[in-house]
Amino acid sequence: MLSIPVTYSDTYKPTGSKHRARTAPDPPPLFDDTSGGYSSQPGGYPAPGADVAFNVNHLLGDPMANVAMAYGSSIASHGKDMVHKELHRFVSVNKLKYFFAVDTAYVAKKLGLLVFPYTHQNWEVQYSRDAPLPPRRDLNAPDLYIPTMAFITYVLLAGIALGIQKRFSPEVLGLCASTALVWVVMEVLALLLGIYLATVRSDLSTFHLLAYSGYKYVGMILSVLTGLLFGSDGYYVALAWTSSALMYFLVRSLRTAALGPDSMGGSAPRQRLQLYLTLGAAAFQPLIIYWLTFHLVR
Amino acid sequence: MAFTLYSLLQAALLCVNAIAVLHEERFLKNIGWGTDQGIGGFGEEPGIKSQLTNLIRSVRTVMRGKKKNEWNTLKF
Repeated sequence: MLSIPVTYSDTYKPTGSKHRARTAPDPPPLFDDTSGGYSSQPGGYPAPGADVAFNVNHLLGDPMANVAMAYGSSIASHGKDMVHKELHRFVSVNKLKYFFAVDTAYVAKKLGLLVFPYTHQNWEVQYSRDAPLPPRRDLNAPDLYIPTMAFITYVLLAGIALGIQKRFSPEVLGLCASTALVWVVMEVLALLLGIYLATVRSDLSTFHLLAYSGYKYVGMILSVLTGLLFGSDGYYVALAWTSSALMYFLVRSLRTAALGPDSMGGSAPRQRLQLYLTLGAAAFQPLIIYWLTFHLVR
Repeated sequence: MAFTLYSLLQAALLCVNAIAVLHEERFLKNIGWGTDQGIGGFGEEPGIKSQLTNLIRSVRTVMRGKKKNEWNTLKF
């Protein structure tokens, strides 16, 4: 962008040579303006001060600089619009906002449900006029706030665990974060493929699957924390407890969510496929929890 | 197994490439996964095999892109 006035001055032949003559002893005036205008050197101030005053007038009165500024600001707003449009094409922001409409009571109750789901009676997601209720008003609705926060907490906790064992370095932190993220992405892709192949008619969108896959981070955090506090035995006990709780939670939630309103319409083989899919997703959780945390607790 | 996002991208690219190079006549017809075999009716049950064949066909069509016409007009 700083080169634009130079090219404009190339096309303005009559005034170009005058510019060149005026600024011949210096580099182009824009560079000098922005660095000299805000400098606070007491010794050299008077001399660049005069130059700055001269160059600032030169800058503001210069029609080419005005054109350059207008061009630059229009490019910036155009770029911003393009980014917004591309983002809206890939991610529907309204649907994403639904998953983050949580409050403290919901988060507390949901965390308690993830750790102890055995006494919960009603697992159906409630609807109001064909739209599912946001997580603020329905405990069974999935959300993306808990998985996101749990992921970040897991990465920090991994750093702490490695630091306690004196195996920490900043690259390991990034590696841990990207590994966990890649496993979640692969799991979501596998679930999407399974849903497509088994032709499960449900209203489980990609974000729902992301939410349900992200709940395992809570189990991972609890296992690592117990492992750090109580040693290896505590880690295995917490691993067993959180795995079984998470498996029960997933099977109950996905059975009511995956079957949906067409639960009586599916034939027997398809319902069997759906059941296998749910059980497979649930059985995968303890494996991945173990895989991602055992190297942190030795 | 330490994964990076780049390795995920690599794996996805290799998988898509593997699906794209499955040859229609030499290979898929022999194992009965060709696109003109077993389209099935408009019944309720697509079944896993027809879903898979549809998926393979869709991936190959998307991978062909818009350049097929240009290849036909290249004359050396």
